[in-house]
Amino acid sequence: MFCSILSSAISGVEAVPVEVEADVSDGMPYFTIVGYVSPQVKEAQERVRTAFRNIGILMAPKRITINLAPGDLRKDGTRFDLPIAAAVLEAMGYIGKDSLRSAMILGELHLDGTIEKVAGVLPSVIAAKERGCSICIVPADNAAEGGAVEGIRVIGVKSIAELIAFSKGREPVHAQDPAEPDMEDYLVDFSDIHGQTAVKRAALIAASGFHNLFLSGPPGSGKSMTAERIPTILPPLNEEESLEVSKIYSVVGLMPKGIPLIRRRPFRAPHHSITPTALCGGGFYPHPGEVTLAHRGVLFLDEIPEMSPATLEMLRQPLESHEITISRLGGTCVYPASFLLVAAANPCPCGYFPDTNRCYCTHREVTDYQRKLSKAFMDRIDLKCDVPAVSYESLTERDSHEISSTVMRKKVRKAIALQRERYKGTGISFNSALTAASIEKYCTMTEDAAWTVRLAFDKLGLSARGYHHVVKVARTIADLDGQDQINDAHISEAICLRCSENFSAPMQIPGSNSIRAGYGGART
Amino acid sequence: MISDYRQDEILQQIRYINQDDPEYPERFQNYQRMPMGLYVLGRMPDPDKKTVAIVGARYCSPYGRAEASRFGEALAAKGVQIISGMAYGIDSWALHGALQAGKAPFAVLGSGVDVCYPKESYTIYRRMIREGGGILSEFEPGSEPAAWHFPIRNRIISAFADIVLVVEAKLRSGSLITADYALSQGKTIFAVPGRNMDALSQGCNRLISQGAGIAWSPEVILEELGMVIEPEKQSDELHKNRKGKLPGDGVPGQQTAIKNREENVSAPRSGNGTWKERTRNLPQKYAHAEDFQKVFGKLTYDPQNLDALQQRTGMDLTQLTRVLVQLTFSGFVLESPPGYYSRT
Repeated sequence: MFCSILSSAISGVEAVPVEVEADVSDGMPYFTIVGYVSPQVKEAQERVRTAFRNIGILMAPKRITINLAPGDLRKDGTRFDLPIAAAVLEAMGYIGKDSLRSAMILGELHLDGTIEKVAGVLPSVIAAKERGCSICIVPADNAAEGGAVEGIRVIGVKSIAELIAFSKGREPVHAQDPAEPDMEDYLVDFSDIHGQTAVKRAALIAASGFHNLFLSGPPGSGKSMTAERIPTILPPLNEEESLEVSKIYSVVGLMPKGIPLIRRRPFRAPHHSITPTALCGGGFYPHPGEVTLAHRGVLFLDEIPEMSPATLEMLRQPLESHEITISRLGGTCVYPASFLLVAAANPCPCGYFPDTNRCYCTHREVTDYQRKLSKAFMDRIDLKCDVPAVSYESLTERDSHEISSTVMRKKVRKAIALQRERYKGTGISFNSALTAASIEKYCTMTEDAAWTVRLAFDKLGLSARGYHHVVKVARTIADLDGQDQINDAHISEAICLRCSENFSAPMQIPGSNSIRAGYGGART
Repeated sequence: MISDYRQDEILQQIRYINQDDPEYPERFQNYQRMPMGLYVLGRMPDPDKKTVAIVGARYCSPYGRAEASRFGEALAAKGVQIISGMAYGIDSWALHGALQAGKAPFAVLGSGVDVCYPKESYTIYRRMIREGGGILSEFEPGSEPAAWHFPIRNRIISAFADIVLVVEAKLRSGSLITADYALSQGKTIFAVPGRNMDALSQGCNRLISQGAGIAWSPEVILEELGMVIEPEKQSDELHKNRKGKLPGDGVPGQQTAIKNREENVSAPRSGNGTWKERTRNLPQKYAHAEDFQKVFGKLTYDPQNLDALQQRTGMDLTQLTRVLVQLTFSGFVLESPPGYYSRT
């Protein structure tokens, strides 16, 4: 007897519907699974058979063939245990024919028949809804996650017995998950950081315009602390963004238990020894990397010159196009990767440059260290800020005026609201996404500002790209200020926070870098 | 190496001056272990003119940078030939200063004369050849810079000089090798004094304790060279040479420096004027703005970052950067390394 149950496989961050077909016929007792399946899926037969025995279901000595269609799509993971079990049960007559017709089923089995949670429930429920299913049966632990999708009933089941009962019309009843925690309740706050006005300001600007930020400073000065707190001032994810992020986290199995959707911006801080594959995604059968996990949030790379150049250069494409295409033998995937990059580095191997009394690195060591970051990479960073070593006074001072995340978040929200309004219908979401052509349209300047930026162009030797960075950042500063036009104060601040080619190179040769005005430059 | 299309042209210009050549410096015969000959690109230093070698740390501080440039400029303006090693840091800034004064200096390289090392100095290198200076080396054209070349080329730098001026040096420094050669060749050594807490000044301070002259202003060196300064002309000339600077940025305090030194000991930087004088020299449109005075007053010759300046001035960051950028563009403030600001 033949029957078919709907399930789904994960491809990229989307779910693709898969028909699980079971055929039970006479012949030599036999259990086989076909349909381009991975070893994990093959193992399902042992789990299904043993689970049936343990809950007292007798399997007649029949020839059982399972097919997962379409047959040219790779199926991986343990999510097919439950649909296979359901298909076999239906084929053997334990479940009424077609009683699960309009349902999609996912779940992993234990040998005692209980059901374990699986990854990728959210995209599967979305796929089920798109396919026109009215019910989605998922492990009870995943029920909250699946329940985030409206317009489809999500049933959480804890065991095969519950599944059989459901097919006969008895719905399982489970305790409700605790209420969602307050999404603005972060464990860290900007008011934890004492002093560091310039750094906080840079973080505020970065968050308001989604500009990539570079922090340079001696060890222990608070670079990581600052980066960790940037998500706390970013606006909460909107519905669409929240779904995008939750889908990614669901696919990799990182959804926190009992939370239907991720509402907080992700913060990812991989160690600098990370491999290119782990950072950007990949593998024989592609899986998402850290850049995708940081989608709509913050990717913090500490000690960035210590990262291998190959890894670092991989970041160039996602930084530019906000997605990453992974092409492997096992398939091609496009993962979203729109993140705010916060990079941190010591200015030299010892970390104390330019304090010549503490830094004993040679000129060569400093330049070599900084040269590890390619120009192409630095070109993609809008903002740079020096994080000075904290003085004892500012560390111990209990200043109640320390600016808090709540205050900063309000400012960010205001600035982002202005941007949303301005770029309505243009496909641009933040100032950092402005193109050269749109800069002219949206970044109008006062006469003073135009003059200042022109002087900067001449005297700082700004490149065309450097000019665009300055103007884009100035646009964000003007938005924070609530101004339509960019004035010279906005431009000046953007100039002081610009990221130059060498992030902190010594000027040891006249005219070789930096501002040349003071020395008239080398005129040749 | 210089790019190929220039190379032939440059190779043709290189002259080799051996010991029999009339151009071979006569004074070399007094010293031991002088080279058999020198390769020259451009001119040889004029033996009849006074020559000062300015050497120092590659990895210098803004203070050293400013002092090297100031001494180079002031001495060159008075017709003193400047010679140096064209290394990173002090050497390059001294040569740069001399070029600013319109008097091309000389450099003795640790590589072939056609090999510009470090390559970042190429602008200076080219200007020196073009504007009537010279590039000298005892190594064959095409020689790559090797670590052992540098200490021995220092003996040539000191041999050419009448006075060796060390601007900044740590306790263990290549500049002190030059000073040692200078001593064995019987030259006078001057050192620019610095604060005891600065590692980069300790070499200089030790030289002073060992009897080197204290180079507290370029005039001290001119005096040592026996070059009398006519007070009237001096400030004008220096003023003229400081092009790119704003009017009124003269050298007050210098005119009387020679007449009555004691009176002016308190003027710390005669080339740039004292604090108060500099502040007074802010152009009219700034002078009225309190913010400009405030920011400029808090700036030092040590580079400070935005955060430190914000704390010291207590100003809003937006306002502070606006002032800083204006000051930078007009040449009162130097941003180096990027993100750090100091007085020029």
